[in-house]
Amino acid sequence: MFLNQFLLFAAVLFCIGIYGVLARKNGVLVLMSIELILNSVNINLVAFGAYNQDLAGQVFALFIIAVAAAEVGVGLAIVLLIYRNRRSIDVAKANLLKG
Amino acid sequence: MIVALLAQGTPLTETGLWIANTFFYLIAFVAVGAALKMVTTSNVVHAALYLLVVLSAVAATYVILGAEFAAVTQVLVYLGAVMVLLLFGVMLTRAKIGAEDDLDHEQRWIGGLVAVGMLAVMGYSLLEAYGSTQLPADMQPQRVGPISDEIFSTYIVPFEALSVLLLAALIGAVVVARRD
Amino acid sequence: MSILASLAPAIAQTTEFVRPAIDWHAFAPELVLLAWGALVTVIDLIGGERTRRFMPSLTGIGFLLAMIPVLTLWSQNDDLPRVLFDGAYMVDHYSLVLKGIFLVSAYVIVLLSSNYMAEGDYYDAEYYQLIAASVLGMLVMTSARDLISIFIALELMSIPAYLMAAWRKSDLKSNEAGLKYMLMGVFASGILLYGMSLLYGAAADTRLVEIADAIDTGETTPIFTLGVLFTIIGFAFKVSAVPFHTWAPDTYEGAPTPLTAFLAVASKAGGFVALVSVVLFAFPHQWEIAEPVMWILSALTMTVGNLIALRQTNIVRMLAYSGIAQAGYMLAPLAVYSKVPDLAQSSIVTYLLIYAAMNLGAFAVVIIAARKTRSGDIESYGGMFRYAPGITVAMTVFLFSLTGIPPMGGWFAKFQIFNALLSAETTAATVLAIIAAVNSVIAAYYYLAIAKQMWFLPAPDGDHSPIVVPPALMAAVAITVIVTIATGSVGVGLVGDATDFVELLASP
Repeated sequence: MFLNQFLLFAAVLFCIGIYGVLARKNGVLVLMSIELILNSVNINLVAFGAYNQDLAGQVFALFIIAVAAAEVGVGLAIVLLIYRNRRSIDVAKANLLKG
Repeated sequence: MIVALLAQGTPLTETGLWIANTFFYLIAFVAVGAALKMVTTSNVVHAALYLLVVLSAVAATYVILGAEFAAVTQVLVYLGAVMVLLLFGVMLTRAKIGAEDDLDHEQRWIGGLVAVGMLAVMGYSLLEAYGSTQLPADMQPQRVGPISDEIFSTYIVPFEALSVLLLAALIGAVVVARRD
Repeated sequence: MSILASLAPAIAQTTEFVRPAIDWHAFAPELVLLAWGALVTVIDLIGGERTRRFMPSLTGIGFLLAMIPVLTLWSQNDDLPRVLFDGAYMVDHYSLVLKGIFLVSAYVIVLLSSNYMAEGDYYDAEYYQLIAASVLGMLVMTSARDLISIFIALELMSIPAYLMAAWRKSDLKSNEAGLKYMLMGVFASGILLYGMSLLYGAAADTRLVEIADAIDTGETTPIFTLGVLFTIIGFAFKVSAVPFHTWAPDTYEGAPTPLTAFLAVASKAGGFVALVSVVLFAFPHQWEIAEPVMWILSALTMTVGNLIALRQTNIVRMLAYSGIAQAGYMLAPLAVYSKVPDLAQSSIVTYLLIYAAMNLGAFAVVIIAARKTRSGDIESYGGMFRYAPGITVAMTVFLFSLTGIPPMGGWFAKFQIFNALLSAETTAATVLAIIAAVNSVIAAYYYLAIAKQMWFLPAPDGDHSPIVVPPALMAAVAITVIVTIATGSVGVGLVGDATDFVELLASP
């Protein structure tokens, strides 16, 4: 098995995630796209860990999974709050503040 | 079967390798397809279900790479907890279940250009660096015991910090999400 | 059954767990804060409404208690640096100075928050618990020398902040601030992590020194370039460097003002610490990639930040953009770090210390003024000298410091940056120094415009009733004024032999 087949798979998922973040307006969909990015990172780490026969890669991936769960929880709390106040979770409509 | 073969510490045979490879390409193909559908579908619930497919495929990839504990964690945390959270998020924030036409930015082609450009750069760099690097033939699966030893010795500081992080996220999310 | 049987020999191979040797003294600041935070949380759980009003004082005491081990560690100078976990965690002068900055800043932020939170009917006890958690992340960050610790510390610092930005629950602006900050922050983490995964792949180790050795090939390959670039871009979002800054002013305006001070000062400093650690300790040999990126980020950040700050009429947004511009100054030494690594490190730490003091002070004055004027418009500061002379003098100290007029601290901070740039003796560094100088002049215009408003222009509505300043806010202003003036005055004396501080921080 080539190392690259896993790394390229991860790179494709990463770029699809980037597209999702840039193209989507709905807050939940943006969060989902970010999950794609985090998963691609985890594939990278696990693949490098297997390649180097080193445990740190898998340990790092486990930490990222835990943090990602926390991030989704936090993100949905904020999304729920904003939906309750405005009945929409469209990021583009979040325009009371203009940079 | 791959798990059992790897578990014995014996290198994969030609056939075993072929099976693992075929599995991988099948999984990767399904995952990329599902990921593409996820970022283009006009139905939020479908997007969540496509994400489920991708996450399962990633878990299967971990198994092929001999990272069984990460695979189990992926199934428990991502497919179990995160997906349920996301689906709850979808359900609680919209009355309508079905196709919608206002989920994408007008200028989504910029996102497409950026993504394709990045893929080209990343693909080139990866091919250049790890062109035909093989994974070690005697690849050992990484067991839970050594992983836990590693977490509770070398990585004890981030582990403790992570526990504080989860508690803080819990407290904060309850405050933010509750009705007053 | 057969699978289980086949697993048996492998299970038998499991190695014995070796308990790591832990230097408890080196961990004491984190442990004190952790224990105190847990105690405060439990007191809040049991006490409920009865103990609620003690929460700010209790949290503040926790930060001061955590200062004690920082000082005892500092006093045992000979034992430094204390290296834990084979270099994954390091307590040295650099990290101790930063821990001190974070703890004192956190104490000042608690002082700033207490009246705001109590009067606004928010969930105040939980707010202080989240502040404590976030500060714990910063303490870990100062000592973290491996990728996993840095990532977890960064998230521990940021995740409570995402939630606190949305803390004014009934206000849509605050909700949006939280949403934008959270989405941007998580996205930045994703990019950062991809970079880190490539670095890990190259080094097969998560420790920064090992990464530095592994990518010390004398040449730059695309994959290292990608790893370095993604890592730096991830941090650039966190420290709101242009062009990754768009979330910052919106988040700063929407969030509760004391939290804005926290984000603009403590969180940003935390991001900087991570960036400095990674760049200095992991990329010492990859400067050919990192330095030009830093040069561009620095020049863009200071220029764009200043030009937009010029047009602001709301003081919080102006301070936000001025904070972005100052991040540009702080990035500047990283554009020459290969030539003068010690000077770059110490000048950034000096700038962070003084930046924290003068910006927290300015935010304190903004919070005090908003108690009377209920507005953030710069015009509403007119005539303040007539009815609040003390506050006006304090604000003038901060504004002069931000402008860089001696003997205020800001002058010494800028001096250090220019010193680092000019010591590098390259054309690029000199050009960057000139850009920074031009920007300082632009910045003087809008800082001094506020001073002018306060001293010479009339109050907009002719209302000259005095401002009642609660003791907590008074103490916050006093602490920041003293630090701002003291650092500047010490700086005047140090200019001759500023090398002392550099040598102290660089002691291996």
